[in-house]
Amino acid sequence: MSSEQTLSADVVIVGSGVAGSSIANELARAGISVIVLEAGPRVDRQHFVDNFRNLENKPSYQGPFPAVPWARHPPNQMTPNEYLHTSGPNAEAYQQVYLRMMGGTTWHWAGCAWRYLPSDFELKTRYGQGRDWALSYDDLEPFYYQAEVMMGVCGPDPAKEDLGSPRKQPYPMEALPISYAAQQFRKLINEKTPYRVVHEPQARNTRPYDNRPTCEGHNNCMPICPIGAMYNGGYSVYHAEAAGAKFVPNAVVYRIERDSANKRVTAVHYMDPDKGSHRVTGKYFVIAAHCIETAKLLLVSADDQSPNGVANSSGHVGRNMMDHTGVQVTFISGDKALWPGRGPLETNVIDNFRDGSWRSERGAYLVHMVDDNQVDLATQLAISKGYVGKDLEEQIRYLAAHTVRLFSHNEALPDPENRLTLSKTNKDILGIPHPDVYYKLPDYTVKSCEHTRGVFKDLIGLMHGTDEQWTPGYFPQDHPSGSTIMGTDPKDSVVDGFCRTHDHENLFIASSSVFSTVGTGNITLTVAALALRVADTLKKELVHA
Amino acid sequence: MQQDRNGLPPAEWCATPNAMRLNRLMRMARRDALMGGLGLSVAGLFSSAQAQTAQTAAQSGEVGRFMAVSERLTDRTTLDSRIGTALYVGIVHANPDRQAKIQALATLLENSKPTSAAEFARAAEHEDPSLKEVIHDILAGWYRGVADGKVVVYRSALMFDITKDAVYPKTYATGGPFYWVSKPPEVARPTGKPALTPSPFVIEPT
Repeated sequence: MSSEQTLSADVVIVGSGVAGSSIANELARAGISVIVLEAGPRVDRQHFVDNFRNLENKPSYQGPFPAVPWARHPPNQMTPNEYLHTSGPNAEAYQQVYLRMMGGTTWHWAGCAWRYLPSDFELKTRYGQGRDWALSYDDLEPFYYQAEVMMGVCGPDPAKEDLGSPRKQPYPMEALPISYAAQQFRKLINEKTPYRVVHEPQARNTRPYDNRPTCEGHNNCMPICPIGAMYNGGYSVYHAEAAGAKFVPNAVVYRIERDSANKRVTAVHYMDPDKGSHRVTGKYFVIAAHCIETAKLLLVSADDQSPNGVANSSGHVGRNMMDHTGVQVTFISGDKALWPGRGPLETNVIDNFRDGSWRSERGAYLVHMVDDNQVDLATQLAISKGYVGKDLEEQIRYLAAHTVRLFSHNEALPDPENRLTLSKTNKDILGIPHPDVYYKLPDYTVKSCEHTRGVFKDLIGLMHGTDEQWTPGYFPQDHPSGSTIMGTDPKDSVVDGFCRTHDHENLFIASSSVFSTVGTGNITLTVAALALRVADTLKKELVHA
Repeated sequence: MQQDRNGLPPAEWCATPNAMRLNRLMRMARRDALMGGLGLSVAGLFSSAQAQTAQTAAQSGEVGRFMAVSERLTDRTTLDSRIGTALYVGIVHANPDRQAKIQALATLLENSKPTSAAEFARAAEHEDPSLKEVIHDILAGWYRGVADGKVVVYRSALMFDITKDAVYPKTYATGGPFYWVSKPPEVARPTGKPALTPSPFVIEPT
């Protein structure tokens, strides 16, 4: 079955997350016609909130977002997994989760909106590790600010708290007043250690902004902000639609068609849930389908013209898979009550390990003190200890008031052997293969995690901690990147500094998949800034044309 | 009243085929629903088979004995019997042997008349070590609001009752913007001892 009419637009975008929807919004506002094809469904916020409240395992971030069969995503971070099949020495460290839904994975992010450091773009030049990006911090700076305005980012006054990424303007919103727990943690670190705690930049409203309310501290940024005080890609979808962009849900792109010279993309083809095939033509095409799905789509599109996959003359599509691997510990502080869980989830970061000469030896990392409501965990712990009745209630109160959770984001390096391929054995109901990923942690990351464990042990001692619960091994922080790596040499990279594929002049990629290194902060703001730069390039080329 | 087509609610048959499919896929099962509303009948939470179990259990006095055991184990004199009925059905559904074990706990309670939860729990584990797991089920039910791997109540779980002067259940904060800046209550280190032997603490995978 094929469609009766062919869809067509100036720009066709695959994926409606923060990257795809923000490009659509920029282009539509410039009078350029846009079609966005989203594999997953359109679902409203209240639906996810209800699902969360009915979820027994509340920390399961994928729990409120069940996938549809035609656009599956990983159901959890378990290995083996029903969708993302990982293997290799550190298979469990690459068990990423993400969402295939209108609006994308920012339905369940924590709003952490870091700019990268200038050094993050020059890791090879400065420290002899990994690669340099094909752009500099200065190239991206205006787009970082544009992304901050788009999302509504609150952050500290740079004169008082310099986060290391030079700014030409202040944050769009004033800093968030920090919780009592965060105040106490900050005081302890400042007084008793050589480190500092900074206010993490947050895509979260500290005043009404973009017709969204001020944060009320529901403490549920992940998996779902119940009131929309935190930005997510869904808001860019709304804005883009209001400006005239067309979004098609349940449209699973499976083929990228090129001209006879294999230089220009002419159309993409998608299947609807009933396997009806549709062709969508355009002048420019942007794949903005998340690191894993973007690489999968390029590989699935292999044909006689490009037997190794579209945009893959380098052979690097699906290679160089990276993440911010994490170390995590939960313990009971022996000091005064903190009562974490009052306010947003993540606002406090020790940033002393983001940059230094040691980056020639081991990866950088951030330490989050997670301000997470611990009542449920405290209850489970107190019951397991054998308390009942009044004693149980006293324990729950004590443990909930004294539980501390720390985790880190440790930097990986691009290694071509860490590779995404198409599953030979698992296919979805449309016949599209699932993704397989082989992963071995770089020694650079392992050394970084060892350093983190030492710091965490010191902090536990400082807080007279007991009942340490270390998350076993290494765990994924859901920041996959590198699968369509950026570089200046078409022989060893997939896109150039403008995120244009080396192989196809009208095909762009907007995703963390283009990252040359994984950087030292949560990835989303950099994804958005790169996407807005793609939009800027497209506007210039289309308007001049 | 709108016509019921093939037993489907109007939200499904009024929609497009894709929306119908989505409605069914994206909606959690009815029995997962919250029991928040005061007027909500307990039967509304269950499948018809489970509703039957609940009715039978109530008539035979099983729920009454479960409530007595629950009150002793929580050191409380009032617990909501609607929540208790739902928890009882869930606990027994997850593990049919719990029915006899709960009755064994009730018999012990009636015979030994312990004056505290701790005394009761110690005596129970002494009599039959396997009763510890049942006690865990009952406590997780009341304090966490879960049974049979499902949410029976969320906001009404006792863990939120005993911490309501400091924190809100997630998604139900009512303190207004920036309430979190203020100093929460201090909590003295508890002096009570565990009544049961410790069990492994397993954090559910995410």
